[in-house]
Amino acid sequence: MLEVSHLRKVYGSEETGNVAVGDLSFVVGEKEFVCILGSSGCGKTTMLRCLSGLAPATSGQILVEGSPVDGPPEDLAYVFQDYSRSLLPWMTVERNVSFPLRYKGMSKQEAKIATADALDAVGLGDRTKAFPWQLSGGMQQRVAIARALAYRPRVLLMDEPFASVDAQTRSDLEDLLLGIWERYAVTIVFVTHDIDEAVYLADRVLVLKAPATVTTVADVDLPRPRDQITTKALPEFARLRSELLSALRH
Amino acid sequence: MRTAPRVSDFLLQFVLPGGLLLGYGVWSAQADNFYFPPLTEIGSTFADTWLFERVPVDLLPSVSRLVAGYSLAVVVGVVAGIALGLSRRARLTSEPVVEFLRALPAPALIPFALLLFGTGTNSKVFIIALGTVWPILLNTIDGVRGLESQQLDMARSYRIPSRSVLLHIILPAASPRIFAGMRTSLSIGIILMVISEMVASANGLGYFILQSQRGFEIPEMWTGIVVIGLLGFVLNWLFLRVEARVLFWHRGAKGLLGDSAAAPAVESSADGHGPDDAEGRGPEAATAPDVPSTARSSRPVS
Repeated sequence: MLEVSHLRKVYGSEETGNVAVGDLSFVVGEKEFVCILGSSGCGKTTMLRCLSGLAPATSGQILVEGSPVDGPPEDLAYVFQDYSRSLLPWMTVERNVSFPLRYKGMSKQEAKIATADALDAVGLGDRTKAFPWQLSGGMQQRVAIARALAYRPRVLLMDEPFASVDAQTRSDLEDLLLGIWERYAVTIVFVTHDIDEAVYLADRVLVLKAPATVTTVADVDLPRPRDQITTKALPEFARLRSELLSALRH
Repeated sequence: MRTAPRVSDFLLQFVLPGGLLLGYGVWSAQADNFYFPPLTEIGSTFADTWLFERVPVDLLPSVSRLVAGYSLAVVVGVVAGIALGLSRRARLTSEPVVEFLRALPAPALIPFALLLFGTGTNSKVFIIALGTVWPILLNTIDGVRGLESQQLDMARSYRIPSRSVLLHIILPAASPRIFAGMRTSLSIGIILMVISEMVASANGLGYFILQSQRGFEIPEMWTGIVVIGLLGFVLNWLFLRVEARVLFWHRGAKGLLGDSAAAPAVESSADGHGPDDAEGRGPEAATAPDVPSTARSSRPVS
């Protein structure tokens, strides 16, 4: 579904520039949920910008469903970290979600159904006429997720989407996302710096070290459906957690 | 939603104007001053002159010149402002010329405008457009440059064509600044309307005031001044109504609607700037200007 091989991204010239991504290779399978874990400044965002086609790679290759990425791919949607700046405050929630659909070739009717579906999926079916600034932070990020879902992507890239909401909202959003992942059968690449979040959500966790190189891969075999209390109480959860913590530290 | 302004607040607004008029009326009635005629005389002259004999003769030409010149400035200022805001190269190229022309007072070009367009309406429209275009142009440039790069990234990642990006993202995002420029320009436009009509003109409010003064028709002169004041007042009021409607999202997003539902947006837009935020935008985008202060375009709601 998503193949990254020897991705390298340098800002500026090769000799003097800033190496944001060193040599990154990984493969994400169909409908897999992969979390990419790394501390701040390890090149996560640059990596996502390359994957989403927003920034050209210096060298290496990215394949989405077998075709190389040389611009934003059609089957991919990107959920930005900062919802307050990626939603358009002059459009209603509904319009924010439906806005990109027309350019994907959906008819008015299809776009309407996809929008209503996606907003229902994130639990905002009753706030369609509201403006983003009338909603709480968690709700705004749900609008951004609905916009990505309505686009019907095969791959969903998420850049620390829950980093700026409170803990309670965050765990609610994690569960919401797992539900959506099942319902829409998408492949998710989820970037976070939160170990618990990564283990709780993922099938597989990749640990990234600056400059964005995979140092550790951990398979997460925790049973699904997962639960904030029982899953996190499992011994396996604790084991993965400390394994990843030491991987991040070294 | 909003609490309705109380009747007493509304009435309060009339206390000072009423008091001033009353004071002038009482004073002027006994002053017997040639230059400050009695209020009653100004009032009756006003009724004779402006209800509605001179409305088509002087008021309408003035207003239509203002509307034409101002509209021209809005179109040119916004279109050029977007182009210059988007292209660094175009901005650098045009900057010296823009700064020079902007520093030039538009009235200095009245003699030239008369040569070029004659004494008719066109020269006035030219002067008004020339003087009002700069605030709109410069504010539009700033508005476009202050665009959130993430909104453009979002548009790119959803493969939204550039025409739609321009229309549905860049233009609305810059609109608070565009309106700030348009408001400044509106008062400049009224000034230039009057000045341009005082030089080589056959009608208009400026012409009327000057002619009245030259003919020692002091009450008439005062009524002309009153009409200009009223015109400015009404146009500004109309402008604010339009602005409040078009930019209602902007005031809402800034938490100025006085609406309890808007409150969470303020709190949640304050956070959400992770340390990873600026990473990976590339050197060009990283030096993007700060979000411009939109304070000028936002007023507290009464």
